[in-house]
Amino acid sequence: MNQPLIINDASQSSSLQSGGASVSRRQLLQSLGGGLAMVGAAQMMSATGSAAGPLQPHFPPKAKRVIHLFMNGGPFQADLFDPKPALVKYAGQRPASADLVTERPTGGLLPSPFKFKPRGESGVPVSELLPKLGDHIDDICVLRSLHADNPNHGPALLQMNNGTILPTRPSMGAWFLYGLGSENENLPGYIVMCPGRPVRFSILWNSAFLPTAYQGTYINHSKIEPDKMVPYLQNAKWDRQTQREQLDLMQKLNQEHLKQRESDQALTARIQSLETAFRMQSEASEAFDLNRETKQTRDEYGSGHFANGCLLARRMVERGVRFVQLYYGNGQPWDTHSGHNDKVPKLCKTIDQPISALLGDLKRRGLLEDTLVVWGGEFGRTPTSENGNGRDHNHHGFCMWMAGGGVKGGMTYGETDEFGFRAVHDKMHVHDLHATILHLLGLDHEKLTFHYAGRDYRLTDVHGQVVNKIIS
Amino acid sequence: MNFRSLPNLLLFFVALILATPAVAAEQEHGPADWEYFEKKVRPILHKRCYSCHSSDAKTVHGGLRLDMAALAFKGGDTGPSIVAGKPESSLLLTAIRYDDEDLQMPPKGKLPDEEIAELANWIKRGAPYPPTTETIQDDSEIDFANGRTFWSFQPIDEQPLPEVQNKEWSRQRIDWFVLAAMEREKLKPAPAANRAMLIRRVYFDLIGLPPTPEEVQQFVDDPRKDAYELLVERLLNSPHFGERWARHWLDLARYTDKNASWLSKTAQAHLYRDWVVTALNDDMPYDEFIHRQLATDMIAETGAEDTPALGFLGLSPNYWKELKLPCEIIKVIVADEWEERVDAVSRTFLGLTVACARCHDHKFDPISTEDYYAMAGVFASCRITEKPLVSTEHFEPVKAARAKVDGLVKELAKLKKQKPVPQEKVDELSAEIESIKSSTPNFNVAMANAVIEESLYIVRAGKKAQDGTRLDYRPQPRDLNVFIRGNPNRLGAPVPRRFLTVLSEDPKPFSNGSGRLELARAITNQARPLTARVIVNRIWKEHFGNGLVSTLSNFGQQGDRPSHPKLLDDLAARFVKQGWSLKRLHQEIVLSATYRQTSHVPSAQMKVDPNNKWLSRMNRRRLDVESWRDAMLVASGQLDRKLGGASSDVELAGNLRRTLYATIHRRDMSKMLQIHDFPDPTAHSPKRMHTTTALQGLYVLNGHLLAQQSEALSKRVREKSPADIKSQIGSAYWLAFSRPPNERELNLALEFLGPASETEHTAKWNRYAHALLGCNEFLFVD
Repeated sequence: MNQPLIINDASQSSSLQSGGASVSRRQLLQSLGGGLAMVGAAQMMSATGSAAGPLQPHFPPKAKRVIHLFMNGGPFQADLFDPKPALVKYAGQRPASADLVTERPTGGLLPSPFKFKPRGESGVPVSELLPKLGDHIDDICVLRSLHADNPNHGPALLQMNNGTILPTRPSMGAWFLYGLGSENENLPGYIVMCPGRPVRFSILWNSAFLPTAYQGTYINHSKIEPDKMVPYLQNAKWDRQTQREQLDLMQKLNQEHLKQRESDQALTARIQSLETAFRMQSEASEAFDLNRETKQTRDEYGSGHFANGCLLARRMVERGVRFVQLYYGNGQPWDTHSGHNDKVPKLCKTIDQPISALLGDLKRRGLLEDTLVVWGGEFGRTPTSENGNGRDHNHHGFCMWMAGGGVKGGMTYGETDEFGFRAVHDKMHVHDLHATILHLLGLDHEKLTFHYAGRDYRLTDVHGQVVNKIIS
Repeated sequence: MNFRSLPNLLLFFVALILATPAVAAEQEHGPADWEYFEKKVRPILHKRCYSCHSSDAKTVHGGLRLDMAALAFKGGDTGPSIVAGKPESSLLLTAIRYDDEDLQMPPKGKLPDEEIAELANWIKRGAPYPPTTETIQDDSEIDFANGRTFWSFQPIDEQPLPEVQNKEWSRQRIDWFVLAAMEREKLKPAPAANRAMLIRRVYFDLIGLPPTPEEVQQFVDDPRKDAYELLVERLLNSPHFGERWARHWLDLARYTDKNASWLSKTAQAHLYRDWVVTALNDDMPYDEFIHRQLATDMIAETGAEDTPALGFLGLSPNYWKELKLPCEIIKVIVADEWEERVDAVSRTFLGLTVACARCHDHKFDPISTEDYYAMAGVFASCRITEKPLVSTEHFEPVKAARAKVDGLVKELAKLKKQKPVPQEKVDELSAEIESIKSSTPNFNVAMANAVIEESLYIVRAGKKAQDGTRLDYRPQPRDLNVFIRGNPNRLGAPVPRRFLTVLSEDPKPFSNGSGRLELARAITNQARPLTARVIVNRIWKEHFGNGLVSTLSNFGQQGDRPSHPKLLDDLAARFVKQGWSLKRLHQEIVLSATYRQTSHVPSAQMKVDPNNKWLSRMNRRRLDVESWRDAMLVASGQLDRKLGGASSDVELAGNLRRTLYATIHRRDMSKMLQIHDFPDPTAHSPKRMHTTTALQGLYVLNGHLLAQQSEALSKRVREKSPADIKSQIGSAYWLAFSRPPNERELNLALEFLGPASETEHTAKWNRYAHALLGCNEFLFVD
């Protein structure tokens, strides 16, 4: 949960509280060094409070918010967005160029049985498994040359989310909030939805050494009643009116307490935050309530966890949530070590309509232009077969895509080798992906730093290059 | 101050002629060759390489520059990049041909074949490269002698008391230094806090709990001149003191109750937590406190009962190592673990960020990469494991018995699956298991998270990378080689295990096993001044809300300088002299006039020194989540004061223990703790942050804790004086805030509670009590 974030601190000038607060907060945090906030004679700043407004990016942003559709487990690139006819020619063989080490032993090349068609005006090929998504290809930039460092779920999930395989670094969403704050003080600025739990769980959205208020708020949306999703949202016993009377009393006591102590910003900040919390009860209940959507919209998205998640994601970004991450499912559903060709069509069926609806919906509402949608897993899968009908993890080369938020549509970027095993041209490391996403948000990945344990940390560590070719 | 010696400026041309083997090739080349280079080769290097490997690069990658002849020949971190005349031996070619999986340049994608061919051709021709007369800056060595002059490394001595004008105010040596600074800044101390304010403050600071109304009353009415001194002594002797201060230590030690899921689960993490509580309650000298946590197993005088001390290392974060992967990948993961140990140990005990020197010499402090690997080698030479709370010799029979029981249990499980179940055999086996258990002394002895003396090598499981990895533990300690740029797959020179150069003239290699004990002793001997300053400052911070040095775990260049350097030195010197006694340090601090000031001062006075750097008042402080929750349990009369033992979920209904005993789980942190600024337990946390968020507000409005404790509080005060609403309100105030309500507060209460039916009255009282627990006065201490 992230706003309004107030850090009690004693080391900055009082000008921070006035309208100009926005830029200085980041500087302030940087200036504090490892220990951060000191309590006491407090100077405050509000990350997102109405007085302060959101933080300033480094340069004008193309995207104001991000939706990340996370296919946990890792989908296979050559089934969906990166057709590889050579697989048929070399089926069953293992040419030297396909002799790469992944997590488990794999055998010969296993062609994808799924057909591709050029779609849209751009003619970018999309798999028959994603017919509806193909309708939006002119808004989508397919990234074919991703690569990562580790073919093992935990480390790869960490790298995709936190920039390193270490569990001790902040997640990208925490960096987004640190850099930009949120646009709606009555909702968490960083929401992570999963109908269950992805591997490694909360470390994937932690704030590590950044203030805890920047961590993601995890929501299990397998039950879609708002008060089951957001923690502590509703009072079990008292209605709103009764609760208002109680809060009024609490605030009178707080005022009495404050009066005896003259001014103390830490005290006033908490008084305000209680009011925000009170308003949030209605605002969040409303935001998370899918019943407020028309039947037509619900039908458009379809049914199931992933469809609900996509629709919730739209409701979140519409209300100014900075980062929404939607995990496909509990555990690692895309991890098809066996029976790959049976499982993939089923998986695709559950994402095709919802994602298509999400993109269409965002576009109709004028949100797509400044909302970045990112799709992908923590890695891809091998073109070689595991035990005849499965595919192993593949970090050497895999696909992701981005849409909206200042990204060129109807294009592909980068290439894998002839089998789709390894990224070979215009290679895009996960660090480059992060650098590019931050860039779209108006943040320079080399400047978005936090001083901790003796050095300046970044999401991209000492790596990362912005891929300018995909930016419109 | 700069630790590096002045850069040596070399006229490069001279060095080139004198030194490098490339010179020979160079001299054979003439303008025609250079023209060839400029036309055919330089454009490729410029287009493909210079963005990372030239003076134009934002950071020069891998230490390699290709924009000057000599630098190109000299190569980068991995050695010479070009061997004139021999493309096959030139690392540059290996990289651009993508021959080596770990060295592929440019990283964005392979060059077109014709460019690779051109570069190969160039090297084959002897790699002609026109000389330049540009000067370059030598990468200078760390100047340790100069480095040792830094303030935090200086010897500590008791300081003469400074002159002050106000001769009345000071109570402790501390106060003279603080007052002198105030007078210099033209400030005056705030009046002393009244006894009611003082007792509440010192209770929270020393034991993390509020005083009961009776304790407040007694203290306020106590006619003895030394009533406060006696109170402090009593609190320092309370077992709750250890509970309170252990939690501060556990933040530094990144304590968790649950180790990684793939590690053995028989050890009980809480043994380490309880060991810290006991050590602090016993006022174990701080130097011993360090020695035992790093190496109690190597100290003859300590026994198995101290084994849990090793939990500082034994509960270190453990990263998953997928052994199906090639060992090159696993080596990186293990190297990251060693870095974590170096980071936690050096920041916790020394206030130094030694881990910064893994990839290159520390950018700011006099800590070399060799220093880093000398320390990392210690951790590479010990293995995380579980150890029993009895001696090895007593454990041998237990180990054998446990192995036997494990075997029998498996056998038993198999039998039970048979149809029909061979009951006779089952009974026989069950009886045998029971008999082994009961006849083996210490069969159920607790296991602690610890370390043992075994070093780790990461090797291939088979002949090929594809065969995966084997973790090979060997009894002998090992030295590490420098990992070039921190990469364990690129080795530099070996470094013997030893202490940091800057803290010890000519450090000797460690010779006793891994060197843990030698490291621990170096921390308290060679590094004594630094170690003492760091801990004194941490204790100071917890009493005042801010340290004399505000960067608690960074006493290096990038850290802050002390606001009262002489005070810090005087405290640290006497702390060591008094046998590293933490309790005496606490006592001196809380008995000082500085500590006893009020926090209520007029705004005008606040503005003179808004950050209270000069300590002319007490800081008002917000309770951390532990004290906040514990205070509710005290107010409601529900607190279970039992010490020690296993943790349990803080949100579990009926969990009424102190928050210290809430389960800390790195991967699945309690939501309640998480939203209240509980630090991430995967890393050393020098200081709690204090954020104010709406989710905390939601917790106040709707969380279970306040709902339950307000009911208990409301019941408690109404049962105490059933007929008298005013005295009920009075009791509630005393329980919540250690004071009676004023007139307005009483009227607000009466108005809120109003006339109502019995059921409605109870509900109103619950809401009223809830408001008291939720309001600012309950969260902030004056």
